[in-house]
Amino acid sequence: MTSSSSASLQKFGDSPPKFSGRMMNLRRSDNLQPIVVMLLVLFFCIYAGYRSADFWSTLNWQLLAQPLAEAGLVSLGMMFVIASGGIDLSAGAIIGVAAVTAGVTAHHNLPVPAVEVAALVVGSLCGAFNGLLIGVLRLSSILVTLGSMILFSGIALAISDGNSFAGFPDGLLWWNDAAFFGVPLEFLLFFATAAVAAVLLRYTLWGHYVIAVGSNRIAARYSGYPVALALFGVYTLQGLLSGMAGILLVARLASARADMGQGLMLMAIAAVVLGGAPIVGGSASVIATLVGVAAFYIVQDGLLLLDVPPFVQHALTAVLLLVSVATGNLLRGNREDQR
Amino acid sequence: MKSSSSSAWLRANFHRHETKLASLLLVLGIALAVAAPRFFSSVNLALLARSMGVLLIVSVGMLNVILAGGIDVSAGAVLAVVSVLMVRLGNHGLPASAVLPLGLLTGAALGAVNAALIAELRIPPIVATLGTAGLFRGLLLEWTQGEWESSIPAWLNSIGSPRWGGLDASVLAAVVVALATAWVLHRTQIGRALFRYGDSPLAAVRTGISPRQPIYFAYISLGALTAIGAVFYAAQLGAVQGNAANGYELTVIAAVVLGGADILGGRGSLLGTFLGVLLLCSLQQALVLLHVATFWQNIATGAIVLLGVILSAAPRLRRRPVLQQSPSA
Repeated sequence: MTSSSSASLQKFGDSPPKFSGRMMNLRRSDNLQPIVVMLLVLFFCIYAGYRSADFWSTLNWQLLAQPLAEAGLVSLGMMFVIASGGIDLSAGAIIGVAAVTAGVTAHHNLPVPAVEVAALVVGSLCGAFNGLLIGVLRLSSILVTLGSMILFSGIALAISDGNSFAGFPDGLLWWNDAAFFGVPLEFLLFFATAAVAAVLLRYTLWGHYVIAVGSNRIAARYSGYPVALALFGVYTLQGLLSGMAGILLVARLASARADMGQGLMLMAIAAVVLGGAPIVGGSASVIATLVGVAAFYIVQDGLLLLDVPPFVQHALTAVLLLVSVATGNLLRGNREDQR
Repeated sequence: MKSSSSSAWLRANFHRHETKLASLLLVLGIALAVAAPRFFSSVNLALLARSMGVLLIVSVGMLNVILAGGIDVSAGAVLAVVSVLMVRLGNHGLPASAVLPLGLLTGAALGAVNAALIAELRIPPIVATLGTAGLFRGLLLEWTQGEWESSIPAWLNSIGSPRWGGLDASVLAAVVVALATAWVLHRTQIGRALFRYGDSPLAAVRTGISPRQPIYFAYISLGALTAIGAVFYAAQLGAVQGNAANGYELTVIAAVVLGGADILGGRGSLLGTFLGVLLLCSLQQALVLLHVATFWQNIATGAIVLLGVILSAAPRLRRRPVLQQSPSA
């Protein structure tokens, strides 16, 4: 499963590799880094379980699964964005916009489905705005989303007037409370979304376009691929998933604020990269992304249980990112030397 | 393409990004002259200059990094580390002559850490600096435990206090930094190497430029300049804490990018960066003068940045898709 879960363009346009080439490919496979990360996390889990009795308790994993689901949704969107050769700095701001939209609509006593749809639509619109500028106007993704991040956080503040909302209907908070055989519903939703994302990436024409655009946009354009449409879809999807994450965040915290998604954007980029996806695009794997985001949350949770001071936790997760990317690079061999 | 020789100069400069920025500034200036004439009072202009100092100093460093084809999202964290370190050491009674070099050295060292991760371990710049941003900020917050340093040493206070008709030392420092960087970028070998490396690392290395030197130079200079910025940042605020300058790096990148620097590296100018900083700061100042709520300031800033991005890409949009753009790793 792991070897087939990575969609890349090796079979597309390349001449079949020679034997030595295939050996190189084995060594440079994208799938090595998730394995490194999984091993590191596994060692960490054993250590944490040894030091803290609570680590393997069901409650711990249930509590862990919920923030993981929110970050995971954003990471899935970010995976498509990075695979298409872009980056989305505005994801956190979109979460904020979606969250306060849910807050305002719930405040006006709209029914729960309407609240959810409103947040999702607003999230998608924000994403579509990015997609329009990046896909159709062909502007640089990092610049556009840098500007729209500032813009969206302003819009979120404008919608909420700087207030935070509370007093949400039970129908919305249900997302947080519900569980299925002990597995939080949030997590199941995330898992289902991941499955859909995997299908989109592996088995649809659009997924193929996204990878093609990410590996060489100019070649994709000259091959007659709908580059603009593919990119528009990528950023709209990212907006939609950020909107979902916003709703789940609101449901879990029972409040909505404009700056809610602040940390999640960098988290999502880090998770995708931790899973071994090249930041320049052209390759993606849902499983690797799942490994990346789970690694972050498991390690953070474990450090918390080990009574590591909160700020050191952040520093150590950053070290985890640097170490695994560096190891992945070393395992892959130095591409620069081969040029 | 069909330019006659007489209007060549005009044509050459008409489509320059700096010209567009200057006209944007002109429009803003005219609008302000009507809506808030107080903007052009000498007091307000001095305030504007003071608010630009730190941003310009750090932006010049970021320009070096972006020219070399990199990016640094840890600049805000470095600014916080250095300002907290200097204020703490100063409050412990160390003299300015010891604290300032130490701060500068710390900034340069943190920049060197970024450069080493990028040049030696081949970690992509945005990933490497994302990691170091979390690392630096986490360690700083652990050190300060989230507490404020609510007083700063007297010598630091005097650095930040206005003199020379409302201007302070940060304005002078910004001018010196900009001039020195202009000289380095355009008159020295390492400066030219920065442009060439950013344009195409492969071509640069093939022509004999060291693959590591431009990266180290860019990030260490950004670190050192961020440390200089941190002096004035702390001096102007009069208090620092571990969460200081959170997200500042994005403002800095926005200013450089608004100034027309190509995020892929190799293209950009100091004049553009200056105009970008000027535009961002005068917009902020104007909105404050007009008593506009904070969120409208964000919306306006975001819109201006997007406008700048569209403007800088406008000539490219008119042309057919080009093959010149190389996907740089």
